[in-house]
Amino acid sequence: MATVASPIAKSVAGGSFLIENRTPAEVFTPEDFSEEQRQIAETTSQFAANEVLPAADQLEAKNFEVTRSLLKKAGDLGLMAVDIPEEYGGLAMNKTTSAIVADRLSIYASFSVAFSAHVGIGTLPIVWYGTDEQKKKFLPKLATGEWIGAYALSEATSGSDAMNIRTRAELAADGKHYVLNGEKMWITNAGFADLFTVFAKIDGEKFSAFLIERGTPGLSIGAEEHKLGIRGSSTCPLILSDCKVPVENLLGEAGKGHHIAFNILNIGRFKLGAACLGGARNSLTNGIRYAKERKAFGKSIVDFGLVQEKIADSAIGVFVGESMAYRTVGMIDHALAAIEGDAAHSSREIQKRVEEYAVECSILKVWGSEMLDMVVDHMVQIYAGYGYVEEYPAERAYRDSRINRIFEGTNEINRLIITGWLMKRAMTGQLALMPAIAKLMEEVMAPPSFDDPNALDEPLVNEVGLLASAKKIALFTAGAASQKYMAALVDQQEVMGELADILIQVYSFESALLRAQKLSASSSTSAALAQAMVKVHAEHCFSAIETAARRVLAAVAEGDMLRTRLAIFRRLSKHTPVNTIELNRVVARAMIEAGRYSL
Amino acid sequence: MKILVCIKQVPQKDAPLKLNEAGTWIREDVSYEVNEPDAYALEEALRQKEKHGGEVVVITAGPTRSQQVLREALAKGADRAIHLEDDRFGALESTNTARAIAAAIEGEKFDLVVTGLQSDDYGAAQTGVLLAEILGWPHATIIIGIEKTDSGVHLKRELEAGHYQFIDMPLPAVLTIQSGINKLRYATLIGIKQAKMKPMRKVSYGEVEAKLSKNLQRIERLYVPVKQKKTEMLEGTPPEVAKKLVEHLRNTVRVI
Amino acid sequence: MADCILVVAEHREGKLNRASFETIAGAQAISKETGWAVEVVVVGEGLDAVIAELATKIVSRVYAIEAAALAAYTSDAYVYALKNFVSTKQPKLVLFPHTYQVRDFAPRLALALDRTLISDAIGYKFESGKLLFSRQMFQGKFAADVSFAGDPPWLVTFQIGAFRGDLAEPGSAPTEKVTAAVAEGAPRVTPHEVFQEAKQAVDLSQAAIIIAVGRGIKEQKNVAIAENLAAALGGELAASRPICDNGWLPLERQVGSSGQTVAPKLYIAIGISGAIQHIVGMKGARTIVAINKDAEAPIFEIADIGVVGNLFDIVPALTAEIVKVKAGT
Repeated sequence: MATVASPIAKSVAGGSFLIENRTPAEVFTPEDFSEEQRQIAETTSQFAANEVLPAADQLEAKNFEVTRSLLKKAGDLGLMAVDIPEEYGGLAMNKTTSAIVADRLSIYASFSVAFSAHVGIGTLPIVWYGTDEQKKKFLPKLATGEWIGAYALSEATSGSDAMNIRTRAELAADGKHYVLNGEKMWITNAGFADLFTVFAKIDGEKFSAFLIERGTPGLSIGAEEHKLGIRGSSTCPLILSDCKVPVENLLGEAGKGHHIAFNILNIGRFKLGAACLGGARNSLTNGIRYAKERKAFGKSIVDFGLVQEKIADSAIGVFVGESMAYRTVGMIDHALAAIEGDAAHSSREIQKRVEEYAVECSILKVWGSEMLDMVVDHMVQIYAGYGYVEEYPAERAYRDSRINRIFEGTNEINRLIITGWLMKRAMTGQLALMPAIAKLMEEVMAPPSFDDPNALDEPLVNEVGLLASAKKIALFTAGAASQKYMAALVDQQEVMGELADILIQVYSFESALLRAQKLSASSSTSAALAQAMVKVHAEHCFSAIETAARRVLAAVAEGDMLRTRLAIFRRLSKHTPVNTIELNRVVARAMIEAGRYSL
Repeated sequence: MKILVCIKQVPQKDAPLKLNEAGTWIREDVSYEVNEPDAYALEEALRQKEKHGGEVVVITAGPTRSQQVLREALAKGADRAIHLEDDRFGALESTNTARAIAAAIEGEKFDLVVTGLQSDDYGAAQTGVLLAEILGWPHATIIIGIEKTDSGVHLKRELEAGHYQFIDMPLPAVLTIQSGINKLRYATLIGIKQAKMKPMRKVSYGEVEAKLSKNLQRIERLYVPVKQKKTEMLEGTPPEVAKKLVEHLRNTVRVI
Repeated sequence: MADCILVVAEHREGKLNRASFETIAGAQAISKETGWAVEVVVVGEGLDAVIAELATKIVSRVYAIEAAALAAYTSDAYVYALKNFVSTKQPKLVLFPHTYQVRDFAPRLALALDRTLISDAIGYKFESGKLLFSRQMFQGKFAADVSFAGDPPWLVTFQIGAFRGDLAEPGSAPTEKVTAAVAEGAPRVTPHEVFQEAKQAVDLSQAAIIIAVGRGIKEQKNVAIAENLAAALGGELAASRPICDNGWLPLERQVGSSGQTVAPKLYIAIGISGAIQHIVGMKGARTIVAINKDAEAPIFEIADIGVVGNLFDIVPALTAEIVKVKAGT
């Protein structure tokens, strides 16, 4: 499966970040990219900057001929072949490489969306679930961009609740065709795609996927939607009216379509997390450039603290996002690389191993999309009036970012997945969450320990301690919530959401910290900058965790119980804040000097 | 045609450079990339090979990090690479760099050597010409067109002020290439993947040391240039700036 | 033999390259510090007019190395002839203008003499009896002082514009013709006629006002912004190389080392960062105005008046102001 050996040493269980401690050597970071991956990043960046970005105006005007020609160029470069096996015209590279491409290509969102839909939901279902004939027929064309793929799951009345689709398939009397009827909504690439993976229920029951070529009688494409953002991408409804699909175009098993739908989403989620990075870096570059140019009160606005704070905030967002994204994809690659022999081609095996990291994938999706929203918002603010008009780049980036919190599962759905999935694993004993909570309760009931955590000789000792406290607060709060609601916790969406926020913060904090520690160990000159970013991020995470925890604790108990818990909580959350104002300035100055995000 | 392309790794164009503490060189903790004119030389070599067949070999001299530009060249389609690998190669003047390259390719029979017209760091614009002298081959500089003929190559040289000249010369020869002669290609992913399998020969300093001589020029100090002219910077909103500027044009420059 | 500085002058088809006077000016300045005599040599055929012109400056002697084989430039013949001349003469310094032609043969000449060449120097320093030559490094971000570590003759090329040719001190010098050493055997390189692709319908060198645009203009359609300003001021439109490479303006409007060299009264550089290749073509302008969004752009190093900001706001405002003022007077 993977052609590059993963540099991380250990396989870890999904979700285990909450109860286990990782060492820097155990996580994959952007600094661990192979020479090959670095070159692929460079090719992709150059392609995006030199070919895609200059065509943005044409794409925004929905000139899809230009889109297709750019997609073809991307195909010629091999960017679409990363996830496809070699025997079907692909490059069979690992998921890290695939994430790198998504990351670097995303400086212009509309093209990024078209590309991602093609290589992800448009192609992967066939890679994983296609028969040999289906793969031979479709993958070589999809690998080069000769054909473009699309994926049709959502309907007017079923989005997040995908299983509720109404589109029906009936086996025709001749036994050679399925006849599909229904209407799909929000289909990315629909305006120009050649191949659609369409979900329908056979006889209204068996949830299944079908491969439908453009031009198939009974398949028609509706009008383009007029969207808030990503206007350069194509989004149309799909109308199936007695659409005759050959039986050999059934993808996977009849009635097992939900495997395809949900698994593809996991990949989609970590890719989306990665794809938010390129957009954020590009916005930051624009913002820094403008802030340097723009004068107010006799100086460049880049010299003002509140502008620098936005620059630092955004840069830290990119740093943390990179840390989380590549850590996660590193774990996935490690797990996939460990598959032995023929099992390497078994979709079930791959699916199982990717699904293992469902929590991390959802975290990436939520965190990445919200980080990008924060960055583009900062940029509009730096541009001020000019940020609100179309002639400057902040406005489009601001509109384009918003969709990320909606597609690939809304951030609300993903928050429920994060908490729900972890709790389910805890309940079934797959993840030793309950013992960890019990152990923590013992610890907090005992008299305070006077072990000095600062005895560690390491520049981020304060943050190491803070992370340990953060994890304890997470366990403590989760324990309190599950004690009150037990299995009925799933009905308490607000509590689930707050717990998800705590988990997201813990994962982001730990990922950034481990990366900074790994950088320190290699005595790189970027180490100091990474440390400054982690220190700021640590404070930010910790405050967010405190707020969420306090809200949950207050919701699940009252009176003495609440008072006792708050006393414990105060002990766990005790710490002396660092000077994030000064650290932010250090971070901002480094970015301003480089003129872009730079580590 | 068997073509050698001499390439160099230089600090990235937009990299903010800082002097080292001794003021003798820049701080090395910057990002590097291939010297732009060399990238055009490589592209031209690849195009010639695609037209006429043969082999493209890339060579560089420098520390371990400079291997990056060789890998990129291999990914773009060069067949193999030679790395004169040592920190000390960076401190050689052009003459000795050319000698080191000549020593490293001894026994290889190249038809053509191409390189960029100058480097973005030293900017001496000499190595290619000196290599020709050492090899005893004819050369031409600032080339913007190469056409293979029966007897050698038909070249278009750029001269100053919009002048050009065609020249013919036999092979083997050394050419220095002007930026913009062609459109650079991207390294494709398949190219990047295959590059790992391509041969890379390392040549140590010791192997060529005997062919080098003492540097005959020495950089005494490196510094941020002192500005010669006093520039008056105008500030304000665009209309304010326009007003100030027009005053200047009227009263000082007297063109209005 | 007295110590001397030998200036290698340049001509194209019997027409002296004015940059030769800049190098002579540089040699005269060094001569004042070192006491070394300045001599000039030029290589070619039928050089009477060229040496006569060179002899109008304060130099000790002007040599013409002539031979039929030197009629058209080839590096082989030039190196051969000059190697012989310099070996015999043994000057302390050999100075050249850093022209395309010099770049083509001077390194080879240095090595043939078993010497080294400091190329593209922008000045010299004479410090406690030692000559240092300053040159730009890292595309002008830094400068370096470079010394010779070996024996003379020391070879140096001076960047165009490093010295002012019009300040070369006038005088009257004896001239001498030297028969060139010519290599035996057939020449390896066949040079053809020098030609121009763009017909020079516009002679920017005579323009009093030039409005030049660079990469910062971003798109071809934006060139109109500069065109409007040129119209308002009654100036000529010019560009840096990337603009002409893109075909946004014809090659004949290109200013810089591969385009025209200009010296107008007013040069307004719009969105031009100031790559050295451009600067050598326009730094002789009386007044340089630079409008660029990057405060660090090298163009501000040579500008008399600088505006840091968005050219798309500033240039139209400037045009409007000029139109207004002109209408008012």
